[in-house]
Amino acid sequence: MKILILGAGAVGGYWGARLHQSGADVTFLLREKRAEKVRREGLVVKSAKGDAVLPVKVVTKGSEGGPYDVVVLACKAYDLDSAIASIAPAVTEATTIVPMLNGHAHFATLDARFGAERVAGGLARISGMLGPNGEILHSGASGVSFGERDGKPARPALAALEAASKKAGIDGGVNANINQDLWDKWIMLGSIASMCSAMRGNVGDIMETEDGAALMAEILEECRKVAASEGHAPSEKVLAGIKSGLTQKGSKNVASILGDLEKGGPVESRQVVGDMLARARKAGIAAPNLRFAYAHLQAYEARRARGGLGQPTK
Amino acid sequence: MKILILGAGAIGGYVGGRLQQSGADVTFLVRPARHAALARDGLVIKSTKGDITQKAKTVASGSEGGPYDIVLRTCKAYDLDSAIEAVAPALGPDTTIVPLLNGYRHLDTLDARFGVGRVVGGLARMGVAMSEKGEILHTSPFAAISFGERGGKTARPGLIELDAAVKKAGIDGGLNGRIEQDLWDKWIMLCTLASTCCLMRGTEGDILEADEGTAIMLETVEECRKVAAAAGNDPGEKGMANVRSYLTQKGSRFAASMLHDLEKGSMVEADHVVGDMIARAKKAGVATPNLRLAYAHLQVYLARRARGGIGKPAM
Repeated sequence: MKILILGAGAVGGYWGARLHQSGADVTFLLREKRAEKVRREGLVVKSAKGDAVLPVKVVTKGSEGGPYDVVVLACKAYDLDSAIASIAPAVTEATTIVPMLNGHAHFATLDARFGAERVAGGLARISGMLGPNGEILHSGASGVSFGERDGKPARPALAALEAASKKAGIDGGVNANINQDLWDKWIMLGSIASMCSAMRGNVGDIMETEDGAALMAEILEECRKVAASEGHAPSEKVLAGIKSGLTQKGSKNVASILGDLEKGGPVESRQVVGDMLARARKAGIAAPNLRFAYAHLQAYEARRARGGLGQPTK
Repeated sequence: MKILILGAGAIGGYVGGRLQQSGADVTFLVRPARHAALARDGLVIKSTKGDITQKAKTVASGSEGGPYDIVLRTCKAYDLDSAIEAVAPALGPDTTIVPLLNGYRHLDTLDARFGVGRVVGGLARMGVAMSEKGEILHTSPFAAISFGERGGKTARPGLIELDAAVKKAGIDGGLNGRIEQDLWDKWIMLCTLASTCCLMRGTEGDILEADEGTAIMLETVEECRKVAAAAGNDPGEKGMANVRSYLTQKGSRFAASMLHDLEKGSMVEADHVVGDMIARAKKAGVATPNLRLAYAHLQVYLARRARGGIGKPAM
């Protein structure tokens, strides 16, 4: 089985590195600059599960090295359009696309471009970030979850991807209920991304304030109601797990979007927060906290667009 | 008339400097480091109304050089407690304290410590900051202070004299017969701007670019207006129309100075400007969902600052 992974960030890079180490046929589709660096220096992983410098296969065009059985999309949601253009030549009738993007908005775009039958559901629970030198700094979880969105048994390509991932020491694999898993992750992410952004602190900082725990619980409830309105309410157990994770005193837990904000980078505002708010509105669900978080992110984007970040405000 | 100015920071330095320049008897009560800098460099003001460098009379303790007729307090609200004790020895039986602070809570504190009869209302309106070298940089076309008796009483002689000195010094404003309304008007504006600029981490113009930015701005100012109204100081329709139009200027690069402090990692007047507005709202039964989020944002900032996490990577 030939696997193409678009992106070598924390998710694609870590997963692909472990697949490569365990003997899978993996190719990375990267932008020129990143491709050159990885070709020159190898793919560098720093992880409690083992450091590695790997001479991985790299292409800069989807037309190279194919055809591929599986194309994993491991880009940020705001890069979806350019990602689609890049992978299009790599996709044949027999290819399965596994997007690992946050939120739900990307499915409509991918289905329209490639046909829903080629697009599986997928999500990552890999914590990490890119270091200053492009190295993958992996910390904590290393799980993936993917499956058929209509709940049917997984097609052979997904079963093969699961086998390869298990061999590579990656947790998770085929999930028969991937849509529910996507919603479960989104309500967690929508809550923590909103709060860490709008409050500019980690979970522990937020819990230090008078109303912090209440605000976190409220926004989680807003997201839960949206999921329920779409037929994907989380189980009580899942919800309790999310809630306890999001309201732990002293927790250093933080959404990666805050790192992006503080670096002045692009953020998945629309996909993670704006789309949740839009769905709440459509379903007639009051979402005052999501509303503020989205306004915060939009004000950030406006300031970024005019070159006002890092500049004194007076 | 002897005037003691507590601190020679941006506002205190500007007001004191202009008063002294026009011949008033002004003394600055300063900390040792500032005393040394003033002795070395003089009081330096760079201003749209003309630059000056002049010697400043300073004392290190309120017990020196007094008693004073007027004490002007221009410290930040979070320094008020330490400032109160520093100034106590400077007060004689006829001293009037004129605080030029934002918000309202300091008046309760000062009343409790010195007696309501000694404390009048006051505020400053000027664009002024202190440079790293300790120069006072005044950038706005105006530089106003406003002060007066609370409760609409007739101004005491000390205030009338201060008014004359202020006018002679070319400082705008002066004695105000409705100082409490003025304090509320300024607080409504300040609390709204500080809350929205900090919570959104952007200028007025950045906030107004968000889909809901204008609505959020107007809701927030309405929360503050209701609190003022509950205290008997509703700015009225005309006053509010001005505030609203000022707060909704698309493309405005204006931001609350609190955002500037936040981005420098400095202390902020969170409790004084926003927290106290919420406390008064609760007492009056006014709902303040927007202020609540802004205050939470400021408290998160202070928690992160306290653990040394400002300016460090979030992850």
